[in-house]
Amino acid sequence: MSILETNNVSKQYQMGKVTVNALAGVDFNVEQSEFVAVMGPSGSGKSTLMNILGCLDTPTQGCYRLGGTDVRDLDDHQLSRLRNREIGFIFQTFNLLPRANARQNVELPLVYAGIAGAARRRLATSALDRVGLVDRTDHKPNELSGGERQRVAIARALVSDPSLLLADEPTGNLDSGTGEEIMRSLNRIWMEGRTVIVVTHAEEIARHTQRILRLHDGALVSDDRRPGDG
Amino acid sequence: MGLWEAIRMGCEALQANRLRSALTILGTVVGVVAVVSVVSITQGLNRYVSQEILSMGSHIFSLDKYGFITSNEEYFEAARRKDLRSDDARYLQDHLTMAAAVVPTAHYTVDVLWEGRQAKDVALVGIGSGYAALGDEFDIACGRHLTYQEEATRRRSAVIGSDIAEELFGAVDAIGQRMRVGRESFWVVGVLKQRGAVLGTSRDNVVLMPITTFESIYGSRRSISIIIKAASPAVYEACQEEAMLLLKLRRGRQPWEPPDFGVQNSETYYAFYSRATSLFYLGMIAVVGLSVVVGGIVMMNIMLVAVTERTKEIGIRMAVGARRRDIMMQFLIEALALSSSGGILGVLLGALIAVLVNVLSPLPARVEFWSVFVGLCMAVGIGVVAGVYPAMRASRLAPVVALGYEK
Ligand SMILES: Nc1ncnc2c1ncn2[C@@H]1O[C@H](COP(=O)(O)OP(=O)(O)OP(=O)(O)O)[C@@H](O)[C@H]1O
Ligand SMILES: [Mg+2]
Repeated sequence: MSILETNNVSKQYQMGKVTVNALAGVDFNVEQSEFVAVMGPSGSGKSTLMNILGCLDTPTQGCYRLGGTDVRDLDDHQLSRLRNREIGFIFQTFNLLPRANARQNVELPLVYAGIAGAARRRLATSALDRVGLVDRTDHKPNELSGGERQRVAIARALVSDPSLLLADEPTGNLDSGTGEEIMRSLNRIWMEGRTVIVVTHAEEIARHTQRILRLHDGALVSDDRRPGDG
Repeated sequence: MGLWEAIRMGCEALQANRLRSALTILGTVVGVVAVVSVVSITQGLNRYVSQEILSMGSHIFSLDKYGFITSNEEYFEAARRKDLRSDDARYLQDHLTMAAAVVPTAHYTVDVLWEGRQAKDVALVGIGSGYAALGDEFDIACGRHLTYQEEATRRRSAVIGSDIAEELFGAVDAIGQRMRVGRESFWVVGVLKQRGAVLGTSRDNVVLMPITTFESIYGSRRSISIIIKAASPAVYEACQEEAMLLLKLRRGRQPWEPPDFGVQNSETYYAFYSRATSLFYLGMIAVVGLSVVVGGIVMMNIMLVAVTERTKEIGIRMAVGARRRDIMMQFLIEALALSSSGGILGVLLGALIAVLVNVLSPLPARVEFWSVFVGLCMAVGIGVVAGVYPAMRASRLAPVVALGYEK
């Protein structure tokens, strides 16, 4: 079964008199447990697409189905629940709360999932352990390196055990060595049985994946599936 | 997300933004302090004055030559009038049918001496012997009142105020002592109960003597005022009418002509007081309004300045699963915590100012319950609007838009 499905998804921005077509009718499906890379030049609509897939934004036209449900039919309550339990989102700029330490940042999704006290602490600590940051739990984001911040963000995205992980240029702000490390983490996450979609500019990073979607000027120009485990 | 969770998170956020929290509280405090202290002072004053005026008794009025003078013209007009004399008082005493007491009073200022000690600028009051009926401000602390016999025989007897008793006699029993009032020698027969001060002027720096004695020393050619107490509140109006009619006729005027003398009662005092202080109140209202506006603007501003940073925070929270109501709850709790602590601090500080004003200045201040209530409501109201409104707007944004706000 397709975990997600886009049907003529478009996004337009009105900039004064000019209409920007950030996405111009995108159609594709992603199956359970696929590892997908989204590629394309800057401004081709990759982030716009990811934000729609992550329910952080809504398309101006078209239909986006997540787990078989049209997200237009969901209210704030249900969308929040999706973002909280079903989707882990990793941003290029990390988007950590600057005044909270690593553990508090990782705990945040659990706060809204209604998990409290010792259980929450334990889950957050073990998520940090999985990304190798168990000795950095009390550090604030500005006391961590870029790679460490992104690993905190990965721990946060995984802490509520979502089935879908979306990463928008997770390595964009990191050097290639650190980027490689992050990609190995994503690979491991995919191996655990999750669906992973990652935006990247780098072909060598896309090589980790099974399938590459290429965007150009908001349109899907190619969809290459490759056999093998990446 | 439970309430406890929200409260805990709110407290964390406030701690993390100490400066912003402190400034917001400061803004609240300014507004609330202004409301509480200014209301306390003006209301205290108002209440005090009305009490003072009304304690004259609701059925007491006085007649004199001038009345309330409010302009030069009035003064020159009044100065040409015939004086009021003690025989006018006697006439009213004999002919009024509805009066419980008719008491002539005349005033002078002298120094009083006893055994080398001196009380300066004492208010000397020649007074009719019926004065004890006028109210508790003439109550005796020790000794006795001036008597009718003393009035009839122009005795040099005096009842002194508590300030004089203290200044001149100290620990010595004043009753039966001989003191000098101006150049004359008087027996002290009684000491008045302490009356306290009005707006910083003591009313206990006073010597009472029989009106006849007063006139034998200072002459009977000065104008007196005549205080009249009606037999009961029911006949108060009628008693005033009767007194005015009698006095008009006695002074050769027609009943329908306006009186050529002044009538003062608690209402005229109160009207005068209200007129005199209305400008003062306007000023106070302006001060309060200004501080409320300033405090409110400070709060709003700080909260709005924080909003871009907070919008990104809201975006992050929504991206990981916060519902709109979770966001609202968090900001509501933060705003309530800030504004109520600012409000309580403001109330305490305002009350402290009121107490200090009371102790250190002649203005009587009293903390009014309603001002505390208004102050707190204002603080919480402004706080909630300033704190929650931006959060409400931000929480309506798509998460991606909220995330787009960089610090
Ligand atoms: N909020 C916005 N308002 C107006 N135009 C926007 C907005 N966000 C994106 N766009 C436009 O939409 C197009 C697609 O933007 P998007 O961010 O999706 O590109 P991208 O493929 O992620 O690029 P990059 O690789 O640089 O991150 C661009 O032309 C961009 O200018
Ligand atoms: Mg992008």
